[in-house]
Amino acid sequence: MNQERLMQVILAPIVSEKSTMIADKNQQVAFRVVGDATKPEIKAAVELLFNVKVDAVTTLNVKGKVKRFGRSFGRRKDWKKAYVSLAEGQEIDLTNAAAE
Amino acid sequence: MQVQLETLSTLERRISITLPMAEIDAQVGERLKRVARNAKIQGFRPGKAPMKIVEMNYGAQVREEVLGEQVQQAFYKAVGEEKLRVAGYPRFEPVNNEGDKETFKFAATFEVYPEVKVGDLTGKDIEKPVAEVTEAEVDKTVDILRKQRTRYSRVEREAASGDRVIIDFKGTIDGVPFEGGSAENFPFVLGQGQMLADFETGVTGMKEGETKSVEVSFPEDYHGKEVAGKKAVFEITVKNVAEAQLPEVDADFAKMLGIADGDVEKMRAEIRKNVERESKRRLSARVKENVMQALLDVTEIELPKSLVQLEVGRLIEQARRDLESRGMKVQDMPFPPELFQQQAERRVALGLILSELVEANQLEAKPEQVKAMIEEFADSYEQPEEVVKWYYASPDRLEGPTSMVLEDNVVEFVLSKANVVEKPLAFDELMGNNA
Repeated sequence: MNQERLMQVILAPIVSEKSTMIADKNQQVAFRVVGDATKPEIKAAVELLFNVKVDAVTTLNVKGKVKRFGRSFGRRKDWKKAYVSLAEGQEIDLTNAAAE
Repeated sequence: MQVQLETLSTLERRISITLPMAEIDAQVGERLKRVARNAKIQGFRPGKAPMKIVEMNYGAQVREEVLGEQVQQAFYKAVGEEKLRVAGYPRFEPVNNEGDKETFKFAATFEVYPEVKVGDLTGKDIEKPVAEVTEAEVDKTVDILRKQRTRYSRVEREAASGDRVIIDFKGTIDGVPFEGGSAENFPFVLGQGQMLADFETGVTGMKEGETKSVEVSFPEDYHGKEVAGKKAVFEITVKNVAEAQLPEVDADFAKMLGIADGDVEKMRAEIRKNVERESKRRLSARVKENVMQALLDVTEIELPKSLVQLEVGRLIEQARRDLESRGMKVQDMPFPPELFQQQAERRVALGLILSELVEANQLEAKPEQVKAMIEEFADSYEQPEEVVKWYYASPDRLEGPTSMVLEDNVVEFVLSKANVVEKPLAFDELMGNNA
């Protein structure tokens, strides 16, 4: 797989109550990824970027919210979310990784 | 806590303090816990964010706060232990000690109050102006009061100097009217230089209802740029000529001045009392000035720079406010600190000398003195009891009189020590020549 492409697949980690909870419970990490990313791509990208062993990846498409401003309606962009399950004993420390 | 004191110059000191890091860390942790209880962080309900995230968001800020506080605390504790009197604000700087993770080290540079040695006042001459209030002064004051209450009554004669006239005028230059060159029902008093001399001589001698053309040449330095140096013709119509009438010194006049039963003698006594009070005030102000100067002359003192700087700042602020309250735009007005330097130095020096004198000689303001001072203030008001009550209503209102009593005490003390030279002073000079 193209290294350059892998560098572009992952957009940002998702930091929220749910993401911290699943990190503690299932060794899972949530990411916002580009819309046309595939599971194998995400798996390879996470392994490359964070130097960890990935067990499995599940993805879902998040529909953008419909927002209205006065009379006009607008739509936020759809995006893809990926839950990455890490292999036993692996960990990503996002608090420090964000700085790197 | 380790403390190390260095003396940099006569007044400058540097203190180096070492704090254990563990203590700071513990404080930071505790404070973070408190912050976490209602921290708002994106992606979490308020207060639900885990400690790790809170630390990432607030850690640096909290640490800074704790450090600042610890530094302050440690500094004042150290200063207290070393028995130093810090003047102005200290300057803090961290000391680099790489490789030592256990301690935090910083240094504070500051100035201490100088030892004030008030010089010997015995044999020092202090001029004490004296002025006497005589009947003549009272007369003068009465005259001023009369002039302030001048009334005008209409007369049917030619206007003369001192009369008030009401006129319409229309001015033209080369037959063309110019701005500000005409007015209707314009009152002015002749012979006081309110108008241009040509204009006034033109009006003098006119009667009510008369119309006349007057040629006026504006001077070269006239404030109106367009007309300066030009010749104008004014068509003047006099509508009213009125003679000035000074009120007689009689019962009515006394009543006007607030003496209920119209007793002229009483009025004079009242005026005399006021004049005497004013003259006493000015005399004591002068004596005070002289005493302060004498104190400055005999005392040698090194001033802490930081105090002078603070004072300069205060003076600038005061000047700025002063100008602002007079309606000037101060936003972009420069206030060069050098202008205030000397004044600030003087004030700081006097402040130090005074506090030293007060402490050394027990010249504190006593409550009964303050009371007397306030009663004296109140005396010139119509309801003295109210004024006294007002002063005692809050402690910061008492501050003014208290510091005045203090100054008076110092003045008295100095006068008792020094050689007082009495010097008669003309009353007019004392009052600033305008009496």
